[in-house]
Amino acid sequence: MSNANNLTYETVQIGDALGPAEFHLSKDQVRAYAKTCGMWVPRFIDDEGARKEGLPGMITPGNMSLAILSKLVTDWAGSSGARVVRMGTTYRQPVMPDHTLTLQGFVTHKNESDRTAEMDIWIESEEGDRLVIGTATVHFPR
Amino acid sequence: MTVDYDPALIGRVFETTEPVPVSAEQIAAFCAAISETNPIFTDEAAAKAGPFGGIVAPPSFAVTFRNGRHFFEHIPRYGKQGFDAGKDVEFVAPIRPGDAITLNSAVKEIYEKTGRTGSMVFVIVRSTLTNQKGEVVAHVDHRFMNRP
Repeated sequence: MSNANNLTYETVQIGDALGPAEFHLSKDQVRAYAKTCGMWVPRFIDDEGARKEGLPGMITPGNMSLAILSKLVTDWAGSSGARVVRMGTTYRQPVMPDHTLTLQGFVTHKNESDRTAEMDIWIESEEGDRLVIGTATVHFPR
Repeated sequence: MTVDYDPALIGRVFETTEPVPVSAEQIAAFCAAISETNPIFTDEAAAKAGPFGGIVAPPSFAVTFRNGRHFFEHIPRYGKQGFDAGKDVEFVAPIRPGDAITLNSAVKEIYEKTGRTGSMVFVIVRSTLTNQKGEVVAHVDHRFMNRP
């Protein structure tokens, strides 16, 4: 985790990278998320249950993909006090557990008037496909 | 082709959920499930000295609140298969242990789109999360995709 405590609106630059961070997503971790978040349904629990729903195998809840991407941004913000104020995600392809995901992004805009920075963020598969894409807006305190 | 739906549906709030209490244990379990180790979310002492003056839930905790069963009876379905296509979230204020969150949801928009894989109908549901003090903590737009 990059705990960039010295991160401020002034030091952030367009093009700054978030990650890349490699993350091995296990089936147990997906089950833990499903259990904690009340999403205990076959497609998020095991391959067999998922196949009965017409899926190729167990998949990750979209909300969990959002949480993983959100963590990329909050890791970047560290304990600087910068707060995620907006985030959008598009689930392009299913995220299957038992794979290593790469999380990354970069700063695309800075807005002086409200001290925010915008970034593109995404989850990439081992094959290099962008499974989940998104944007986030982070606000920096004075 | 345009999608058929009752325009009176848009913006109508069918129910407000009962307040859902947020405990420190729940936030800790959520953090564990996503391998969250940032002390502002996990360590009470460090969080107290940090930017939010105490532990707050990671922002993505906001999307874990769910609509009541009743709500979905009013949402039109198109076709057999429905998928979560994505979310747009506005995080207005942090969610803290001890909060009680209510959810108000309404259909924001319904539209059809034709992609490489054929026709899709998107139903956008906007949920507004309010805490026990009446403060809005988040707006969550859920994009549900249906294949007719």
